[in-house]
Amino acid sequence: MKKLLQSLFVVLLFAVSAMAQQRTITGTVTGKEDGLPLPGVSVKVKGTKTGTMTGSDGKFSISVSESGAVIEFSSIGYISHSRTVAAGNVINVSLESDAKSLGEVIVTANAIKREKRTLGYSAPTIKNEELVQGGSPSVISSLAGKVAGINVTSSSSTPGSSSRVVLRGGSSISGSNQALIVVDGVPIDNSSVIGGSSVLASVDFGNRGNDLAPDDIASVTVLKGPAAAALYGSRASNGALVITTKTGSKGADKTSITFTTSNTFSKVLKLPDYQNEYGQGYIDTVAADGKSATYITDFKENGSWGAPFTGVVQPWGQEIDGVRQTKPYSAVKNNVKDFFTTGFATDNNLSFSGGGEKTTYFLGLNSLNSNGVFPGNYDRFNKYGVRFNGTSEFSNKFTAGVSFNYTRIDANEVGGGQGAGSVYNNVLQTPRDIDLPSLADLNNKYNGYGYTDAKGVKHPNSYGYYGTYTQNPYWILQNYKNLNDVSRVTGNFNIAYNPYSWLNIKERVGIDTYSDRRRTLAPKYSFVDIDNNPDGQYAGTNTRSSNGNYQIDQFNVTELVHDLMISASHKFNDDFEGSIMIGNNIRQRQTNSLSTGVNASGGLVVPGWYNLNNSNGPVNIITDQLTKRRLVGLYADLNLSYKNFLFLEATARNDWSSTLPINNNSFFYPSVSGSFVFTELLKNSSINNILSYGKLRSSWAQVGNDTDPYQLLTTFSKSTVNGSFGSTVFPFGNVAALTAGTTLGNINLKPEKTAAFEIGTELGFLDNRISVDFSYYKSNSKDQILTIPIPNSTGYGFSLVNAGEVQNKGVELSLRGTIVKSNDVTWEMYGSYTKNNNKVLSLMPGVDQISIGGFSGMTAVAAVGRPYGEFYAVTTLTDDQGRTVVDSKTGIPLSTPTAQYVGNYNPKYQASLGTNLRYKHVSLNVLFDTKQGGVFFSRTRDITAFAGVSAETGGQRLGAIFPNSVYKDASGKYVPNTSVGYIKQNYYGSEPAGADMVDGSFVKLRSASLSYTFTKEQLKRTPFGSFAIGVYGNNLFIWTPKSNQWADPEINSAGAGNLQGFDFTAQPSVRNYGINLKVSF
Amino acid sequence: MRTKNIYNPKRLLLLALIGVVGMTGCKKFLDINQNPNNPDSADPNLLLPTVEASVGQVVGNAFQVYGGMYAQYWTQSPNASQYRGIDQYRLTNTSFDRPWLTIYRNGLINADLIIKNPGTSLEYTKGIAYILKAYTYQLATDAFGDVPLSQALQGNGFGSPKYDTQELVYDSIFNYIDKGKALLTINSNSPGAQDLVFGGSPTNWTAFANTLKLRAYLRLTKINPAKAEAGVKALYAAGAKFLTADASIKYSTVGGNQNPLFNETVALNTQNLVASSTAVNAFKRNNDPRVNKFYDDVAGQTAKSIVQGSFNSSGVAKLVAVPSSLVGGNLANGTSATAPVKLISAAESYFLQAEAVARGWASGDVTALFTSGVQASFDATGFPRDTEKEHSFSDYMNNAPDALAAVNAPAMESKIKAIITQKYYAMCGFQGFEAWSEYRRTGYPNFLITSVASTLAAGKLPLRLLYPNSEATSNLNFPGNQTIDVPVWWGKNTVVTPAP
Repeated sequence: MKKLLQSLFVVLLFAVSAMAQQRTITGTVTGKEDGLPLPGVSVKVKGTKTGTMTGSDGKFSISVSESGAVIEFSSIGYISHSRTVAAGNVINVSLESDAKSLGEVIVTANAIKREKRTLGYSAPTIKNEELVQGGSPSVISSLAGKVAGINVTSSSSTPGSSSRVVLRGGSSISGSNQALIVVDGVPIDNSSVIGGSSVLASVDFGNRGNDLAPDDIASVTVLKGPAAAALYGSRASNGALVITTKTGSKGADKTSITFTTSNTFSKVLKLPDYQNEYGQGYIDTVAADGKSATYITDFKENGSWGAPFTGVVQPWGQEIDGVRQTKPYSAVKNNVKDFFTTGFATDNNLSFSGGGEKTTYFLGLNSLNSNGVFPGNYDRFNKYGVRFNGTSEFSNKFTAGVSFNYTRIDANEVGGGQGAGSVYNNVLQTPRDIDLPSLADLNNKYNGYGYTDAKGVKHPNSYGYYGTYTQNPYWILQNYKNLNDVSRVTGNFNIAYNPYSWLNIKERVGIDTYSDRRRTLAPKYSFVDIDNNPDGQYAGTNTRSSNGNYQIDQFNVTELVHDLMISASHKFNDDFEGSIMIGNNIRQRQTNSLSTGVNASGGLVVPGWYNLNNSNGPVNIITDQLTKRRLVGLYADLNLSYKNFLFLEATARNDWSSTLPINNNSFFYPSVSGSFVFTELLKNSSINNILSYGKLRSSWAQVGNDTDPYQLLTTFSKSTVNGSFGSTVFPFGNVAALTAGTTLGNINLKPEKTAAFEIGTELGFLDNRISVDFSYYKSNSKDQILTIPIPNSTGYGFSLVNAGEVQNKGVELSLRGTIVKSNDVTWEMYGSYTKNNNKVLSLMPGVDQISIGGFSGMTAVAAVGRPYGEFYAVTTLTDDQGRTVVDSKTGIPLSTPTAQYVGNYNPKYQASLGTNLRYKHVSLNVLFDTKQGGVFFSRTRDITAFAGVSAETGGQRLGAIFPNSVYKDASGKYVPNTSVGYIKQNYYGSEPAGADMVDGSFVKLRSASLSYTFTKEQLKRTPFGSFAIGVYGNNLFIWTPKSNQWADPEINSAGAGNLQGFDFTAQPSVRNYGINLKVSF
Repeated sequence: MRTKNIYNPKRLLLLALIGVVGMTGCKKFLDINQNPNNPDSADPNLLLPTVEASVGQVVGNAFQVYGGMYAQYWTQSPNASQYRGIDQYRLTNTSFDRPWLTIYRNGLINADLIIKNPGTSLEYTKGIAYILKAYTYQLATDAFGDVPLSQALQGNGFGSPKYDTQELVYDSIFNYIDKGKALLTINSNSPGAQDLVFGGSPTNWTAFANTLKLRAYLRLTKINPAKAEAGVKALYAAGAKFLTADASIKYSTVGGNQNPLFNETVALNTQNLVASSTAVNAFKRNNDPRVNKFYDDVAGQTAKSIVQGSFNSSGVAKLVAVPSSLVGGNLANGTSATAPVKLISAAESYFLQAEAVARGWASGDVTALFTSGVQASFDATGFPRDTEKEHSFSDYMNNAPDALAAVNAPAMESKIKAIITQKYYAMCGFQGFEAWSEYRRTGYPNFLITSVASTLAAGKLPLRLLYPNSEATSNLNFPGNQTIDVPVWWGKNTVVTPAP
């Protein structure tokens, strides 16, 4: 590295144009990994003073005096390369990057390649090999733990499930807080629309950012602050993931064909802890001393509040044809674990890449077929993709590129939550003595719905399943569907014109268009218990009925982006050079959402026929919405560098948005950043032997933001008058009606503003064997466009305002060290630490908090003076010493009279630790990550407590004293409770929502892989150019605090949106492990 | 390496910049923010059905459940749990977010937008809107006490509307009724079928307005008898005509157009409401045939009821009669969908008039009006008048202790007790909230008990509903919560004594 720097320095000093008469050699220097042109590469004739640098298109032209001269190519971040001049006048070179170098070149905003040393902000890059190590099919999930300052939440870690990525904390109260995803310079849509009747219905259709195939990706650069992303405009105010897809390389001898296959097994990662002492039934009466009870063994119960296990064989379930089944009254310890099966996914990728003298191409084909952990093949996810990237030089002055990607998804997602279609909700409520897998056979009359009796008479409307309050989960899996069908095309073409070596004009047009069609199928049925003679031991008949549902949600999104960029560079003298780019950006986004269903209360006419023509009553038009928005931006980017150690960048952008009031629709935002590589000044000092590289950087930026379309006026809509569950829907007979809108528009809306400051350093020690990257940042987002709740007595529910300020402050630290480095062994360790302090500084005067979402008893809020994402709910009452206050008679904990803040979904800090070990051809990669300090709401906890199955409901159920409790004595003083026992059945299930908060801290073995690469020697007699085989895993193990007996804290019912930390009986997450093979020809 | 430049780079950049600016100069390109999804104005006749449907949801669903349970027609089923808190007198503020929203954001705001509409020949529609506004404010104030009125419904004009006293709300109710009646005398276009209650008939709406005014004045008998008397007398002096038929919204089996209580029950997919012994035993004491119309039997049990709030009691019957399909309360019977929601019933109109006469504030025959009231109720429950079935009506009138014998007692208070008690029977399942309000005003019927699931101190009963959580968290002028056992203003002087 040091030598490289020095040689470059030398080159810079002596780089003078030599007016040679002999031959002119021209060519292009590209990066070996991605095939993109490399600017700023030093090109030097060995042994002479002749030298030049490649232009922004990677081209160079140099004169040599004689044949046999050697041309040296060097660039910071790349391994130097020499070529001997032979017959031709064209030399194309591709440089291999020096992975350990700090001087690497990265792709920043607008697909501009920049040397990392010039950047005034933190912009870590992850290369393909690192990305695919753990075998996760999600690009976003694969980033977890690899970069400081990034908060990735992968909900269930199954293919197609949501994963959210937030950089440096949430700053927008109601807008998206996710990073912008940019592929080859074109932003792509990353919508997350959760399925089902509410956001907590837990049908996870994933987020669109996960449509990308990890194998197509060359690198991901994480631009963390708004400074890094100022050029993308407002949408990048949360930072950006700049993704570069693979390309072929020019002048390749032959087409490189690569085939990879990954075969992944999945198992449920974490299930609740259970009690194994009590079975089906409930307490009838408790003795006067509160210590013993009589029980009712209700054969139709879902609760495990019955008598202690005896092991005695006794009848259970319904009596059918005069016969009731029997089984021992004892715990079936693994009944939930055994319900789930091993999932399997196969992910195959085939790519062709190569190039001619003036062209490159890359063709990638991939397919992912998965059948998840639910029994049967109902939870399936299939994804197919094709990508083509090509570039061509038309003449010396024009180049063009095209990129095309098609993705298709065909899936059925299993529903969660608490509705009728939730499989997990019914699994969890199974009494501890009932063997779940034995209920799988729906043809068994004791398990199913509809049966034929001994006389051959059919009873299609009777059920034999034991549960009268729950439904057989196997039957739900078979009958409820959440089908998803996505077709997506993204791509761009670009033309560059390069009239002079100092001037480059580039035009790029990108498109992202998709259709996301979801169909929800819920059966129509009406079943009554076969056994309907109540004898006091169990409840009377309970009809299970549903009118059925069929709903289609169709989302079409088309986004067009145009960028015209003109860049010019100039070298003022040997020390001082600069470049400027000006550009124009136009984008248009159109969305079309159409949600229709059969009549909301009438449901279906004919069971099993899922078609809108089968609606019992008028078809329900839920949403019919078109939106169109446009944005025009003008931007400029100025870069100055002095002696290759002092760099300054300034950007300016002005946007005009169609969504803001026409007289208020222009907003300007600047940024400035600087970088100082101070070790350049210490070159010859002894410090340099220890501190081989040192850089200080700082940046400041401001970003504006517009709003959604059609927010300015108050409107009317078709009338529906809702009750708590049902509603009156117009037309009423033939009578149509309108109603005043919910939200008051605002004709004086202004753009939002975010200002961010960052300072940081990058240090390399001992010839860069150890490197450190540290940042401190602070950002304030104000004048947020908020829909604030106003009292309903105003006649409206919400008002759109510019208000509120959110601040994020934090530190990020990355460390990387090569402990052993020899020809045979390389051992590297790396780690990161991230701490973000978020605070809502203000909202509207008079508004203390704004709901981000949730349900009536538990909301996540943005509250003044607290971090964003605070939970707000009624909780267990405690005294000032933190002891639980119980009722002095019942011993049951009391609830707070009003809602309280009960924790935050954001972690207090995150960290990761990884290692890469290579011995000869074997490499081992292991990555741990942790999030500490957040909490989540667990309905899994609530329902398992309600049903009396969770471990916390076990033990002494009668007369136990609530741990660390006090009660108020007659004088109103809190007295430690040593005598008043409580009855668990009377507490669990009616505890306040705040009692269901669970510590969200965890440590995960995020990914691990072990691979063997065959050597060229070994492959000599085979057709393979390379051959690697490995085993891998992701989300492999989790360690949680003892207090978390319920779920993986990462699961989230509301997908990748701002509503996080809600386990609303969400699907359990899975661990994935498998074997993969990579061959190339 | 230096290159000899032909063009001055600065000039070139400037040219490029101008070119780019030119492209964006087109304001039209950005002028696309016209909402294609929602209109920004609405014809008042399209808003009227929303106001009426909102009243239907509140009276026929949310308040029907609270009223039906607090008037002890119904109680929580032991086989379900949705309404346990109601029988426990343990209400949560969030439960009232929805009805409050329906009242203000579906009902009152749309009524107000009709009234403020500058269009012409809308007098009938506006008159109806005024009367519905009065009706809705009475619902709100009878449930919650003080409510926002003078500063309400003004959007950002008053971002935190202050709460007005119930007395002022009642004064406004009388004022709105008078304004509505006046508008109905001006000839204008009729809203026709857009009026779900009376098809736009100004005559019927005038009768509705008079009956509503009578109801509202009589509500003040305990808190301000003089005002009640003056108001009733003035009403009669002006020759007011009262309702002789139900003012109701008729529902159908079409999904989304069903009786709101039934629609709610279907969505919950659980039969939560069952027969309470309080009402059922009273019907049985009087040998009242209507009991089998107000309740549907389950599995051959005849009007089997359970004690109010006994859902958790040991040995409680699991098979209990349920509210009938006639009143929209039977999940298992689809004809529940067609049960009407009665804003004011004919029976109620007669009982109100009977009370006015009994108090000596109007001339007329108490017994005749009382008999008309009971007859209207028998009619509403489907007893045909001209067959031998009628026999049971006269049987009932002559023999039931709570019928003629009661109203013919000479003392005024006895007559009022008889009238209110009969009104209670007539309102069973149809007008639970109004029956509860009249109980809170008069203390009749005197056989209501304390729910056995009560969590209140002994002898305490629910006397109001709670303010919604949404107001507490968003209205700077929120006056603070009132507990459920605090009477509303007009009920302050009433002593309600639950039966043992």
